[in-house]
Formats: sequence, structure tokens, C-alpha cells
Amino acid sequence: MTNCLPALCSRCDQYSPPVLRFHFLASNLRLSNAVCFIYCCSPSTSPSSSSYIPSPVSASHSLFFQLIDTFALEIGELKKEMVQTSSSLCGGVGGERDSGYDSLWRRMSVLDRLTQTHPVWLLLAVSEEEASDVLLKQPPGVFLVRKSAALQRKVLSVRLREDQSGTPICHFAVRESQYTFSLEGSGISFADLFRLVAFYCISRDVLPFTLKLPEAIASATTRKELEEVAQLGAGFWDSALCSQRRSSPRPRRPLSRTLSPQRTNRNSEVEGSQQRHTGLHCDSAPPTLRSHAAPPSFHLERRHSSGPLCFLNPLFLQTHHHHHHREDEPPLRAVDEKHADEIKVNGKSRSPPPRPPPPRSMPRRRPAPPPPGPPPATTRPKSMPEAIPASAKPRYTSIKRPAPARPSMGAKQSSPSKTASPPIPVSSNPPPPRPKKPDLEAHRCHIALDDETIAKALSRAKLSPCQPPPAVPADALLENNAGSPSSPNERGRQRLSDMSMSTSSSDSLEYSQSPGFSLGLAPSPSRHLTHQDPVEDSSDDDEYGEEDEDEDYGVGLETDLEMRLRPSFKSRRQRVGVSLSGGSFILPRALKGRFRKVSGMLSSLVTPKRRVVKRITEVSRDKSSYFGSLVQDYISFVQENRGCHTSGIDFLQTLRQFMTQMKAYLRQSSELDPPIESLIPEDQIDQVLEKAMHKCVLKPLKSVIEAALHDFQVRDSGAWQQLRENLALAKAKKPQELGVDGAVPPDPVDIEKICHKFLNMRKMYSPEKKVSVLLRVCKLIYTIMQDNSGRMYGADDFLPMLTYVVAQCDMPQLDTEIQYMMELLDPSLLQGEGGYYLTSAYGAMALIKNFQEEQAARVLSSEARNTLHQWHRRRTTQRSVPSVDDFQNYLRVALQEAESGCTAKTLFVHPYTTTEEVCSLCAYRFKLPNPENYALFLVTEDTSQQLAPDTHPQLIKAELHSRPCTQTFHFLYKKVPNLNLCVPAVAHNGNCLQVE
Amino acid sequence: MAIRELKVCLLGDTGVGKSSIVCRFVQDHFDHNISPTIGASFLTKTVPSGNELHKFLIWDTAGQERFHSLAPMYYRGSAAAVIVYDITKLDSFQTLKKWVKELKEHGPEDIVVAIAGNKNDLGDIREVPMKEAKEFAESIAAIFIETSARNAVNVEELFQKISKQIPPLENPEVDSNDSFKLTRQPAPSTRRCC
Repeated sequence: MTNCLPALCSRCDQYSPPVLRFHFLASNLRLSNAVCFIYCCSPSTSPSSSSYIPSPVSASHSLFFQLIDTFALEIGELKKEMVQTSSSLCGGVGGERDSGYDSLWRRMSVLDRLTQTHPVWLLLAVSEEEASDVLLKQPPGVFLVRKSAALQRKVLSVRLREDQSGTPICHFAVRESQYTFSLEGSGISFADLFRLVAFYCISRDVLPFTLKLPEAIASATTRKELEEVAQLGAGFWDSALCSQRRSSPRPRRPLSRTLSPQRTNRNSEVEGSQQRHTGLHCDSAPPTLRSHAAPPSFHLERRHSSGPLCFLNPLFLQTHHHHHHREDEPPLRAVDEKHADEIKVNGKSRSPPPRPPPPRSMPRRRPAPPPPGPPPATTRPKSMPEAIPASAKPRYTSIKRPAPARPSMGAKQSSPSKTASPPIPVSSNPPPPRPKKPDLEAHRCHIALDDETIAKALSRAKLSPCQPPPAVPADALLENNAGSPSSPNERGRQRLSDMSMSTSSSDSLEYSQSPGFSLGLAPSPSRHLTHQDPVEDSSDDDEYGEEDEDEDYGVGLETDLEMRLRPSFKSRRQRVGVSLSGGSFILPRALKGRFRKVSGMLSSLVTPKRRVVKRITEVSRDKSSYFGSLVQDYISFVQENRGCHTSGIDFLQTLRQFMTQMKAYLRQSSELDPPIESLIPEDQIDQVLEKAMHKCVLKPLKSVIEAALHDFQVRDSGAWQQLRENLALAKAKKPQELGVDGAVPPDPVDIEKICHKFLNMRKMYSPEKKVSVLLRVCKLIYTIMQDNSGRMYGADDFLPMLTYVVAQCDMPQLDTEIQYMMELLDPSLLQGEGGYYLTSAYGAMALIKNFQEEQAARVLSSEARNTLHQWHRRRTTQRSVPSVDDFQNYLRVALQEAESGCTAKTLFVHPYTTTEEVCSLCAYRFKLPNPENYALFLVTEDTSQQLAPDTHPQLIKAELHSRPCTQTFHFLYKKVPNLNLCVPAVAHNGNCLQVE
Repeated sequence: MAIRELKVCLLGDTGVGKSSIVCRFVQDHFDHNISPTIGASFLTKTVPSGNELHKFLIWDTAGQERFHSLAPMYYRGSAAAVIVYDITKLDSFQTLKKWVKELKEHGPEDIVVAIAGNKNDLGDIREVPMKEAKEFAESIAAIFIETSARNAVNVEELFQKISKQIPPLENPEVDSNDSFKLTRQPAPSTRRCC
């Protein structure tokens, strides 16, 4: 069943690198047909191209090809790119658009149409009644995706036929598993909602019939038309556009386009072939045209593929790489291509202050719900300057690591004979499981079927250098391999084999070329290559290096998939290579190295999470987006102003707060388009956003944070020195002296191992990743303890042992590591296992820090307790369910007036609010005419102390509460007897605490 | 059903069997090593309760005196605290009283407190009369139960009782009659100030 049916034409040279086109069925598809089309074309060179084209398809109507065909429609980010490109080629081949049979519209796949018009059908906020209202006016098959309040999940609401059942509307629940979306009852799952819907537009599976796009969407011929539809949003359903029926088979042409003379001239020439020849015009488009025409709603897909795709248009990459985000700005959509192009090129210098885009969730139909977090405008820290110094460039934009050569899987097994062997057909698939509705044929990509078409296309290709090259028809490609005897070994899980198959095919392509090809081949000197390689490599590698080694967070499936994927290269390569080699194809050298990227692209295809993280990271670097400007400004600010924080904890808390606010912003922002809910199952969204925040905030700041924390530690009255001394002291102790009772401690070898793990931990920027290292260390300690005794140990035994291990490791830096994790870890994880062992590690470190003190008094320093209070307060404020502890942010202050006695008010006071600020708050709340005469006092049973303006009342309160025997105390706001405000009784926190 | 994560803190002298009770509860075996968690200090178990699922995140603490000062880190944010004593050791019951006092003063205000007299199977060398412990528990409106981790007696019941006292999420305001909570006693003096 697994058919890998790539084929290619040669004639591609350096100037027109081939187009790779993958139609990749969303992961986990049980149909298991991953189809890989490869189109290679050469626009400007050799006249004899047609001789390389495999013989055309005769049995083009076989079910198998229909299936392939539908897949081709349904899936494919590369395809989108290609379609995009060809649609933007108006200069060269615009004539096609004016031909009698408008083929362009069919080049937009269902998936394209869906992604671009999601504001119309993806109406998560719509109620069942509203959905019914909308759909009742629609023909059967029209649908909405909304979120059911009753089910608390997304549902696909479909208009049924009147005769089918009592209910004209049926709601199919969408199941969101950990990684995929599927319809309830179906075994087919998809990486995102768009693919799911696209699939059900083509195959009914568990539905009574296939879905149908609204006419205006299905018949739209241009992006622009789709945009118009999309801009209506939910209002589309009530609009004239929606009610219009297509009266003629020929869709409307865009009116806004101006036809170039060249284009019109060519009309007659190409008209004949256009009817059948669709979607296959490869792009030799001027590079910059590509990006503009790409659908604004499809950044995730498109961007994601940019690594492997960039070889198409190296020039484009240069500009596109940095500015593609611009596309989602409405003004750019509207301008004509050329104009947009200019803007894009000059985009870097032009930096309009980005404004916050409106929140999404049906802005056109109902008011947006209040954002879950603070409004974006308030997300900057108070003290953050508005103007960001020009020098503050995000540092990573300049980091261009050289790409480590990707392992070339095929090198060792490439067989020279392949190139000479005749095409070997691949056994064809069983027919598709379900018959398709006839009307779907119209939506499908039609593929050039005969020599004549191809010849025409090729000859056209020779006409103009800027014209798109002819494509090798998919059917022809398929045919070429259709009868291959090679039948891959079956796997239980198809998803994987899909992957490996496609990947291996691309790999093998690389080595099925002429024997002259060598691995050591220098990159072609062509302009394109030199332009493109550094950019491509840096971005690609940047993503890769870290995602593989550093970014997995132990997410099982992703890693798992990739791990399983890699070994599969080898086993399949050879076979596929044989079927591929097809005798007549010779890949140009320019291809070398490009295919390497393909495997990268494919493996990342399986993980929508990564795509989202990647996408968010990109937006975060784009200062023209609102989110990007916030993040970049913040990063610059932190880099330059780290000294403005009072302590390491204060510093980290500001970071954490920023990330939390950015997450809240992203959840409601329309800057992520398509909305994250359509790509990521809901219970995963927070996790994905968190990961993205780590990547776009913590990663660029890692060294700054590290240095700042160390500075604080050293500066802080010799805390560093004291920590070192205490560590040395503790290290000299026997396990028993640290409380270990019975269990066998790790030996020096194990300690060495643990030290090594801790050292590795220091290299990471993600708090979650660091915690997972900590967990591994703890696990190792448990294992050692249990191996030696066979029993399970609880905290009575574990905590002393951990203390002993921490002492033995003798790493003062571990203290800041723990601080980093405690303050920056996603608060939702603090109650779990990570939080527990982090708490234990903090406790162990605190005990060691206070080792001398502990030996004297056996009490934890009040400072440590204070930290714990702070931590806990933060943690609880981040939880969704408010807890009483949230009220620890309140401070009760009494006003003492000579005549009226006491009145108390509860004020909202942050931990780091100073006495001065509290005083002005009191003045306001108590409505005092002469606040300058008043001051804040800490009153206990027998003392009364005026607090200095720079002290922090909440910290004092926490300190007092944390004492073993809490004294009664109050904060009193009263007149200063002698009006001598500048001589406070208490200078510092420390002093004022000596009240007893 | 909605899963609700509930942090539960285990307090009590060292050696009273805190870990054993939880291991018994989670694994239903004394020494059966099937825990998905990395060690026995932190264990989780999900149980149905009404129309919710309660996922207990059980935080064990070290009972030795020297670690006492770390306890606030562990009980902060807990929905419930299980204070364990050993019925054969009077000292452990005295320690329990100290924990109750500390929780009253510094613990979360709505924390559910459960008192578990462990080693119920060693009744012949009992030092803490059941009556006395029960009366103490009633005086502070805490759950009381005697358990035997070794014989798996009353371990499930202990957590069921806790589950019942966790107010349902939909109506956190509702204070049902059979709900006993240890609340921080209002310190009147802190409200008055002159």
C-alpha cells in the first residue's frame, strides 16, 4: 500500500531549482497514503525537456488516482506555495487567467480556501441556535465549526439534507487528542482543524456526505476574492456574497488586477491547454512576488515550510525571511503586488509603530470577550521606558550559526545502477474507501494528461525567461511508478510510515542522480545559491539544533516520531530510490543539499506544536507586529536595565510576569492567524504558549539573566561567599550528620554523575527542561537508595539524602539555578512533581545556606521563609481558582485620628510596594487633606515604629507572619507627632523587624 | 468529568508511617514499585468524587525536627493536610498537636485537616487512646480516622473523607453542614488598633 510515487523531470539547473511538492496527509491517517509528488521544471533552459517527461497517464480515472488527486488537493503546504507563486506570476503567465476556462481558481486547494476564510466558518463563539440559523439557509453540506457550550468541545455543525432525518442540522463532536484532531467515531485524525475540514470536504468518512464549501468560497478565483469573503467574517452568512449562486460555470475574474500586455498577448496561445493543465505551473517567479501572494492566513504552514522551500527562490528568501509577517497587515493585502513588493523589500527600514490588533473571536458579529489577562497596553513593566534605544537589536537576529551538515542518509547506499535502470512501477493502491461525489471533481486539481499539453507547456516555457516552467503532471509522475513491484513492509501505525516514506524518497532522490555527484561537491556558484544558503542554514539550523537537543521538553510523541523516523530512512531508501530513479531523470547538482532540508521539513510536519512555537517565535522577532514589538522592546530593556531590580528574585518575577501576560495576550490576539485553537488541542494551548515564551523571551536573555543573578548573589552582602563557606562545611559532613538515617548514600562516582547533570542543567534556558534534569537527578538518588535496600523511601529519607547530595556536589551556582526554576517555571506546574522536587531542592539548599545558623539555632533564616511566602503568593495568584492566599496581597491599614479613633481599610499592596507608595495610597483612600503630616507605623503590643519610605510593608508583614510565634501587629497610618518626616525611626527592613 | 488537582500535604513525626499510608493508598501495595512518579515522596492518585475527579497530588514531608522549618513550603497551597501520628508513640501525638497549631496559624485558611492514627494493627502496645485523639480532632473540627498501612485498613476511607470535604468547584461558596474546616481563628487584637 505504501506508495511512494515521486517522479521528477530533469532539466533543472541552478537557475531554476526544482520545485518540490509534497502532499502530505496529516499524520495518523489510517489510509496511509502519503504521496509525494516532485515536480522539477526548468523554465529557461533546454528545449528538449519533453523527452524527459514520463509517458502520460492513461488510466487517469482509476480510483487510485482519484485518491491521490484528492490528497493532492487536500494537503500540502508546498503546494500552497506553488499555487501562490503561480498565481502571482501575472506578469509572465497572466494570460492563463484570462483564458476562457479560468484554471486559476482550481489551483487553490480546498485547504487553501479553508485556511484563508476561517473567519467565516471557524466560529468558535457561536451558539447552537445561531449556527442553526446560519446553516438552515444553506444547502446541504455547508458547515460551521463552533464550540459547543454543552459538550465543552468543538463541534462540526453540518447542514443535512431535508429528507435525511428530522434534524436539518447535525453536530459532530471534534475529538482533540493530545496531538491531533479527529471527528468522534472516526479513526482518521489530523494535525489541525483545517486539514480535518478539508478532508471531510473530500471524503465523508463518518459523515452522511461530504462537506461543501459555501459557493462564494468554492468558486472564488483569487486570493483577493477569498479575502473579501474572509473579511466579512461571520457576517458573510448574511451577506449578498453568501446568497449569490453561481450562475455560470465560469467563476468571476478579479477586477482589480491590471492585465499586462504580455499577458493578454499570450492569451490565445495558452488558452487551449489551460483547461487541463492546472496547478502545475512551477515558479520561476521573481522571488519577491511569492511572499506577497501567500495567503495571509496561513503563516504557520507557509513559514514552516520555508526552510525546504527557500531553494525555490533564493532571492526571495532574503527579503521574505525577515518580512513575511508583514503580510497580515491589512494595508499590504490591499495594495497591488508590485507595490507590496517594494514595501516588503524596504520593510526593514520602515518601522511603523505596530498597534495591537483587535482581539479575535468574532469581532464582526459580537463584541470580543474581555481579554483573559491584563490589556496589552499594560504589559510592559511600569518602569520600562517607552522609547527603545536603537542599539537594542535582538541579538539572535545576528546569530547565524553555520549549519552542521545534516547526516546524509543515502550516501552509503546509493547505487550507481539506479540511474540507468528503467522506471520500475510501484504496485498501486487499493481504491479509495469511499466514492466521491461527482461535484467534487470540479474542485480537484486537474492534471495534464497528454503529451500535447505537456509539449505546449514546455514550449511556452521557452517563450520567456520569466514565465513559469512547465510542470510534470502529477498523473504522469504517478504513472511512471505505478507498477513498481516494491511493496513496503507494512507497519501497524501508518502515520510513521507515511513519514518515512516521503522522507526516504526525497533522500534517495539525492543519490539517484548521476554518479558524478559527490558529497563533497561545493555549492553551486550561482547567485541563487550563495544568496540563499546562509539564511536558510541559519534559520533551519537554529530551529533544528535546539529543538532536537534542547527543546523537546520530553514531549514523548515528537521525539518518538523523529526517533522512529530516522532509522527508517535507511531501510526504505534503497527501495524507493529504485522506483524513483526512473532512468530518465537526472537531478542537477543544484539539488544537492536541498533535499536535506526536506527531511527536516517533514519531520517537523508531524508536530503542530512545534509549528506554533516556531510561528510565535517568529512573530516575536518581528518588530512590525504588536507582539513582536512588545517582546523585542522588553528584551532590549532587560538587556540594558538589569540593574534596576532590587534582587534576583525581583528580576525573575518581572520576567515571569511578562511571560504570563504575553501568554494571555496571545490567547486573545488576532496576530496569531490562524487562531491557535485551530491548530492545537485546547488542553495543550497553555503548554505550547509557555514553550514559545521560553523560546522568545528566555532564550535570548539567558546570558543576561545568568549574569544578573550572579551579580545579585555576589553583591548581596557576601551571600555568595557565605554560601560557598557553608557548602564547604556541609560537604565535609557525613550523611548521618545531615539527617540521613539508614539509606545508602550515592558513592563518589554517582556524585560525579549528578554533578555532570547539574552542569548540563546550567546550559539550558527553559525552566521546564531544567526541572526535568532535576527530576532525573532525584530519580537517580532514589534508585541508588532503593537498589541498596529494596524498600521505597518517603520524604523522611529522601530530603536528607538530597541535602547530602547537594552538599557533595558543592556547586554554589546551583542556588541561582533553583531560583531561576522556582521563579520562572510555569506556575501551573508548581503543584506537581516538578514543583515538589524543586521545593525539596530549594529546601535542601536553604538548609545548607543556613548551615552554621542551623547548627546554632536549628531554624531556617527568616529570609528563606520570606522567600517562600513570596513564592507561594505568586503561585497562588497564577492559579485559575482564586485562593484565600491571594488576599495576602492585601494590607490592612488603620487610620488613627485623634478625634474619631481608628478606621481601618484594606488596601491592595504588592510585595514590593514601598511604604511611601502605601502612604500615598492611604492618603487617597482616607481622603486626608494633609497627608504630608502622616506616616505609616508598625505597631506591636509594646512598640511603635515609623516605617522608612523605602521599606516594603508586605515584606515586613510576611516576615512577621513567618516567625515561630507571631506577635500581634498592625499597620497604623497616623499623624507624625513632630512632623519630622525625614528622620524615620527605622531605616531598613532588617531593623524594623527587631521589634520584640 | 473535570479533573481537579488537589494538593495534599503529609505531616507528622518521622517514622509514623506517612509514606506507607500514601504508598498503600496509591499503589495498594506496600512495596510495589509501579508508581509513575519518580519516588515515593511525591505520589498522585485520581479518585472519583461526586461529579468530579479528584487528583490528589500528595506531598510528603520530612518529619525530622531539623526540616520542620521547611514545612511551610510544602503545606502552602494545600487543599488538605493529613497529619499522621503513631498510636504506639505518645510523642508523635504531641507533635501532631504542634502541627495543628502551626497550620491554624500559617496554613491556608480553608485547608481540610485529617488526623490519622497509624499502626492501628499494633493495638496491644497503644499509647494514644483512640478516645483522646478523637476528641482532639473534634475540637478542631478535623477528620479523624485510625489506619493501618500494613493491613490496608481505612486508608481508602481516609482519602474518601477528604474528598467529601473538598467543596465542589461550581459552588465554592457553599458551606455544607458536614464540612469541617480548620479556619484561622480571627485574632481580634489585630483588628483593633488602639
